[in-house]
Amino acid sequence: MWLSKFKELKLCLKAGRVTLPYPLAPGETMKGFRGRPVLNGDLCLGCGACAAVCPPRTIFVIDEQDTRTIQVDYSRCTYCARCEEVCPVGSITLNNEFELATTNKNDMKLSATLSMAKCKNCGTPFTTQRMLAKLTDDYYPEWMQVKVDPPEWFSICPDCRKKLEASRLKGGSKIV
Amino acid sequence: MSTGHELLNQIETKFPGAVKVDSVTERVAFLSVCDEQLVALADFLANQMNARFVMEIGTDKRPVNQKYELSYIFCLDQEGFEISLKVMVDENKLEVPSITPVIPGAGWAEREVYDMLGIVAVNHPDPRRLVLADDWPEDLFPMRKDFEHDNRPPAAEVKKIMKEPDGNATVVSVGPFFPTLEEPAYFRLFVEGEKVVGCDYRGFFSHRGIEKLADKVLDYNQVPFMAERICGICGFVHSCSYCQAVEMAAEIEVPARARYIRTIMLELERIHSHLLWIGLAGHIIGFDTVLMQSWRVREPVMWLCEQITGNRKTYGMNLVGGVRRDIPEDLHPKILETLDKIESESRTIIDAIIKDKPLLMRLQGVGTLSREDGRKLCVVGPTARASGLETDIRVKYPYAAYGELDMKAAFQTGGDVLARTLVRAEELFTAIDLVRQALQKMPEGPIMAEFSDIPPYREGISLIEAPRGESLHYVLTGPDNRPYRWSVRAPTYAQLQAIPDMLSRSTVADFPLIVASIDPCFSCTERVETVDRSSHTIKTYRREELLQQLQNKYRGGERS
Repeated sequence: MWLSKFKELKLCLKAGRVTLPYPLAPGETMKGFRGRPVLNGDLCLGCGACAAVCPPRTIFVIDEQDTRTIQVDYSRCTYCARCEEVCPVGSITLNNEFELATTNKNDMKLSATLSMAKCKNCGTPFTTQRMLAKLTDDYYPEWMQVKVDPPEWFSICPDCRKKLEASRLKGGSKIV
Repeated sequence: MSTGHELLNQIETKFPGAVKVDSVTERVAFLSVCDEQLVALADFLANQMNARFVMEIGTDKRPVNQKYELSYIFCLDQEGFEISLKVMVDENKLEVPSITPVIPGAGWAEREVYDMLGIVAVNHPDPRRLVLADDWPEDLFPMRKDFEHDNRPPAAEVKKIMKEPDGNATVVSVGPFFPTLEEPAYFRLFVEGEKVVGCDYRGFFSHRGIEKLADKVLDYNQVPFMAERICGICGFVHSCSYCQAVEMAAEIEVPARARYIRTIMLELERIHSHLLWIGLAGHIIGFDTVLMQSWRVREPVMWLCEQITGNRKTYGMNLVGGVRRDIPEDLHPKILETLDKIESESRTIIDAIIKDKPLLMRLQGVGTLSREDGRKLCVVGPTARASGLETDIRVKYPYAAYGELDMKAAFQTGGDVLARTLVRAEELFTAIDLVRQALQKMPEGPIMAEFSDIPPYREGISLIEAPRGESLHYVLTGPDNRPYRWSVRAPTYAQLQAIPDMLSRSTVADFPLIVASIDPCFSCTERVETVDRSSHTIKTYRREELLQQLQNKYRGGERS
């Protein structure tokens, strides 16, 4: 028994003090840590990919008349970084901050409001202007060095496209 | 002829025409059986073929075929073969014969099926409610498809369902907040003097309804993150097990590198879970040196996990078809270095304490579970292996990369708390060895499989050897690219049913340690018992009475 007690004593003395000085010294995180979500409104396209994959369903796409708002309420966030993974332009990222306690729940809300593009045919807003611009850019990338105007149907809403295409098949006018 | 076909032939000889084979592979057979033959067949499987009952899963398939489906999952551990017996229950009948009289370990599963779907197990020896709150309305069954996930029914009258002791035994209440493990669980011990003569358990207080959420809201790739939150320690087990079940149902081939990464994470989780348990066990018997030192050794594993996955817990690594983050080559030396450190330090701790006489006095011969009782109660994991039962899913039903690694399961025959400690200590070193092997053998390649839509109404069963025992996930795929039914059986579900047996020959002082020795993960009731010391009478307050009392005391009887 005394041998065991001696071994235990030696073990404790050898280990010494291991408690970190946190919070007196800052706590460090590893590279790749998934902390506070940050939304970069300058990049966001308003595609809603993040809202579609969010496991706790805490990212909302709010469509109003002329605007679309992407709202992240990270009070319910599980910090899985699925949004970061699927964002096509890297506008939502998780940084290394982990001290997120706050007395105001609104501190945990992020949002980006984007202007909507209207359908040339019926005037209904159908996607964000940035989505449309990206579509055009991707369709005619710079390296092609040819400046072509985007086809007309780019700026027509899916509903109208269907109707126009149907009327074309019936012998009406074709959309370019 | 494969094992599966041989077994099916045996069943066919014994019960001609009773079963219909829906599908059979190398590892699993899905059989349909009519309810008259169910008990005889379950009895045959469990008591003659030595199959282990795992879980009964109830599915409301009325929108598809106007039936409820009950799947009874059995494991033949010797052969490494799973059998699912499916019984169809008519939507107007809602009855099925109980298999608990022949398989005691099925008691909880049948009670849960009643709670969730309202299907009565006829002849069940203890047909009380199990999962739902005591004030849940009698006629509402939440896993039925016509019950919405956000439905909040008004509270009904509180039913008193706890057992009363036979004879002169005194009731000792432990809980509803279990004091040593800081988790919600309520044990009602029946004691005669020092001796525990019986016990009743009420848990599921923190039942969160995540199966329902998957039923109605979540899609395939959202579930892993919810699954991970089933357990705060072995979360990776659950997300991995869920993904494997979907992959089996959809026949998705997971890339080898992803399987190796899953194995590494599963074993790292086992290392930190076992170190945590050794510390807790020490803490419970008042030996805090063990707690401090084993948790000190454990911490670098958490840092390592943070570096690999981006978080010390809830790794968020798994998606259906693979993993999200690779383990880069330049991290390997760091992992190996940490493992070496943990190995030598763990050895020092175990070497120092294992011959400590006061410690042995608290562990030896305490909470003994015999091999036979363990088999009957269908215990799993280290608890089973400490009673000499050879059930290690990693060896018997290899998943992830275990089939390609060299490992030996740890066994003890003592069946007491000491045996469980020794099994866990040995597994700690096996886990370290497995991580080393996996790092060495890990092939190059992609970490995510490519696949198209997942076909509807296919079943997947996945077993994983979690640190606490075997965890089962069952997935039935649904039509709109979402799961139709996802069911989970965590290892503690099986182990807790063995607690009355372990306690029956012990003293009150050993109770916390025995409960802790199965490494439980509780879930939870709003119930308070007070004992009047002058008259020695027990008064159980109902919730309304208690609220009223508290309001009288703090608000002068006014309801605010």
